[in-house]
Amino acid sequence: MGYAAARGGLDAISAAEALVRDARDLANSPWLELDQLIDRQRLAVDRVMGEGGLWDPRLAARALQQSEGDTIEASHLLRSYRATMPRFAYSHPVDMDDARVLRRIVPAFRNPPGPQLLGRTTDYTGRLLDRTDDALARERAEKRSIDWAPAEQAVTTSNPTDAGTVASTGPTKAHLGDRRHRRLLDVLRDMDLMVDRRRTDDPEPADITRAATRPPAPRSAVLATMARAETGALVNLWYRNILGPDGYIHEVTLGEVRHAEIPVTVTHPHTGGPVDIGGVRVTEVEAIEDLDGADEDRTRFDAGYGLCFGHNEKKAIAMANLDIACHRDGGGVGGASDLEQSILMTTDGLDASGFLEHLKLPHYVTFRSMIDRKMAMRSARTAEHPVFDTTTATDAPVPVDPREGDCA
Amino acid sequence: MSATVSETIDWSIPTEGTRLDALVEPAVEAGILDEHAKRELRRAILTAVCVPGYQVPFGSREMPVARGWGSGGLQITLAIVGLDDVVKVIDQGDDEGVNAVNLRRLVTDTTGATETTEVSEATVIQTRHRIPEDALEAHQTLVLQVPVPEPLRGVERNIAELGRMHAEADYSRMWVSLYEDKVRNGVITKSTGYPCLVGGRYVIATTPIPRWDVPRLHRAPFLSLFGAGRERKIYAIPPDTDVEPLTFDDVPFEIEKTPGARCSLCDATEAYLIEIPPSDAAADDGRWICSDTAWCRRRRVEASQS
Repeated sequence: MGYAAARGGLDAISAAEALVRDARDLANSPWLELDQLIDRQRLAVDRVMGEGGLWDPRLAARALQQSEGDTIEASHLLRSYRATMPRFAYSHPVDMDDARVLRRIVPAFRNPPGPQLLGRTTDYTGRLLDRTDDALARERAEKRSIDWAPAEQAVTTSNPTDAGTVASTGPTKAHLGDRRHRRLLDVLRDMDLMVDRRRTDDPEPADITRAATRPPAPRSAVLATMARAETGALVNLWYRNILGPDGYIHEVTLGEVRHAEIPVTVTHPHTGGPVDIGGVRVTEVEAIEDLDGADEDRTRFDAGYGLCFGHNEKKAIAMANLDIACHRDGGGVGGASDLEQSILMTTDGLDASGFLEHLKLPHYVTFRSMIDRKMAMRSARTAEHPVFDTTTATDAPVPVDPREGDCA
Repeated sequence: MSATVSETIDWSIPTEGTRLDALVEPAVEAGILDEHAKRELRRAILTAVCVPGYQVPFGSREMPVARGWGSGGLQITLAIVGLDDVVKVIDQGDDEGVNAVNLRRLVTDTTGATETTEVSEATVIQTRHRIPEDALEAHQTLVLQVPVPEPLRGVERNIAELGRMHAEADYSRMWVSLYEDKVRNGVITKSTGYPCLVGGRYVIATTPIPRWDVPRLHRAPFLSLFGAGRERKIYAIPPDTDVEPLTFDDVPFEIEKTPGARCSLCDATEAYLIEIPPSDAAADDGRWICSDTAWCRRRRVEASQS
C-alpha cells in the first residue's frame, strides 16, 4: 500500500525531464557538438570551469550542452560531478612569473616594463551587431580558414589606446614561451610606493571545498571563494561598492591584467618528484588602491589580487578590487568585516540560485502556520484587553522583527 | 615534500607531496559521495550528537540537487544509510511531493537502501517542514532539511558576533525581540522554525517545522539530525533531550489550531491540517486535509475495514 500512489510524482518528474531532453536533443538542427562549444563559445566554457571549480573544457562543454546554456546550472553539474571524487592531492604552487602570457595590459603606465599585449580581445571593437547574411558569413569564414592557424595570436603595442592603428601581426607562437615581464607591482616597490604586507610565514592555503569557510577567514579562503564565485555576483558586489550603499572601494587603478597559461604540477606517485600533468589558463589581475583612510599610509599604494580559471577579466578585476577593499575594511589585521562576510556568504552561484529557486518548492505547511499567526494577531486585537495599536503609534520605536531573515 | 609509503590507507586529508597510490581507496560502488566525504559527515554528525543544538560546520559537498532543495538532509542520509536501511522521504508531510520523490530515488538508486511510505517500516526518515504524525521510536532517525540553521539571524547578521552569542549563551536579544513582538502584536508572531532551547544550552532553529510539531521534539525517543547544506551546518537533538520553545512564564507556547477544523478525508482533528481555500469568494467549498498523507490514508483504510 502506498507505493503506487507515491509513484504518481515520479511519472510527473519523468515527463518533465522528457520534455527538456527531447526538445534539446531532438531539435530540428544539427547536433550541438562539444568542439563547437569549446572552440566557438570559449568564454562561456571558461566561465563554467571557473564557477564550477573544475578545469576540464570537454566536461564544461558537456555541462553547457546539457543545461541548455545556463551557466549556473552547468557549474552545478560540474561541481556535483566533482563532489563524487576523492581528493587525491594538491598541486604545487605556481610562480605566476613563469606563466605563458597570452594577453597583458598595464593601464597604470603608458610604457610599463614589458609590452602591452592586447591578445584576443574585443575591448576596442565597436559593439556592432554583425548582420551579415549567415550563409555569406560562413562562406567568408571558410575562405579565411585557408591561411589561419589555431594559435593564440598576440598583438603588441606600446599603448592600448593606439591599438586600432598598430599592425596586427604579433610574435609567432615560438616567442610566446619566454615572456617574463616585470610586474608593475615590482616597479612600484622599487619606487617605494607600495605598502609592503608580504608575509614570510607562508601558511597553507585554505581548502574551501573541504571546510565551511566563515568570517573571520584567512585571505586565501576569501580569494578562493571569489575565484569560484558567480561572475555576475562579483561584478555586482564590486559595483555596489562603487555606487551602492557599501563604498569600500576608493579609487583603484589596474596594475596588471593578464590572461596566461600555467602548468599544473603534482608529486609523482612513484618517483616522489614533481611532474607536470597539464596546464590551465587563468586570468590574473593586480589592482592598485589609492589609500585614503585616516589611519592608512597615504604616501603609498596598496594592492589587491585576483586570479580565476579561464579568460574572465570582469571576474578577476572585480576580485582584485574586492580583495584590497576587504583587507582595508578589516582594518588590515584579519578582523572580520561586513564585506568579507558578503564575499564569503553571498557570491557563490550555486548557493544563491539554489536558495532562490527553492522558493518554487511547496511551502503550504509553513504558509498555513503564517496564516494562523495572522488570525491570532486579529483575535488578540479584538480581545478584552486592547493591545498596543501600531497604526496610531508612529513615534514608537520600531522593534526588531524576529521573522526577519527567515525565509524558509 | 618528502613522500612516505603507507601500507594502509591514509584517510587524512592529503597534503601536497602525499603519495597518490597511498590514497587509492578500496573499490567503491558509484555513488554521490566518496568515502572521504561520508567519513567527514559522520564525524560532524557525531560531534553534533555530543553537543546537542550546536551547529557543527562541515565541508558541505555539492549534491545533484540544488542548494536549498535538501542538499544538507541528503548528505546526512547518504552518510548514515546502508543496505539494511528503509528510507522514507516526505516534503510537507507528503511522500508524493515531487522533490521528495526526486530525493528518494537519488538515495535508493545510489545506496541500495529500500524505500517505504510507512513510518513503522522506516529506519531513516528524511523530511522537509514536517515530523510525521505517527510516533517515532528509538531505532528510527529523523533527518530534517534545514534552509536557515541560524535562529538568531533575525536579531544579528554578523557571523562572528553570532558565534560569540552562541558561545556565551547570550540570547538576551532573542528574548527582547520576543518580548517586543508580544507587546506590539499581542501574540508571538513567529510561525514556523520556532526557536527552541536544546538541552538547556543552545538555541536552535527548528527547521521550519510548524509549531504543531515542536512539542514532539521534547524528550523524543528518536534521534533528530538537522542538515543545512547551503550554510554548511549540521546539528542534532539526541534522544531524550529537553527541547523547550522560547517563551515567557505567562505566555503559553501556541500551536496551530483552527477551531472546528477537521480533515475532510479522514475526519482527524488532532493532526496538522492544511487548508484548501474556497474556489471563489462566494463559494463554501473550503476545507481542511491532513498534511501527513500516509497517516491520513492509513486512517481511511482502517476506518473502512472496521
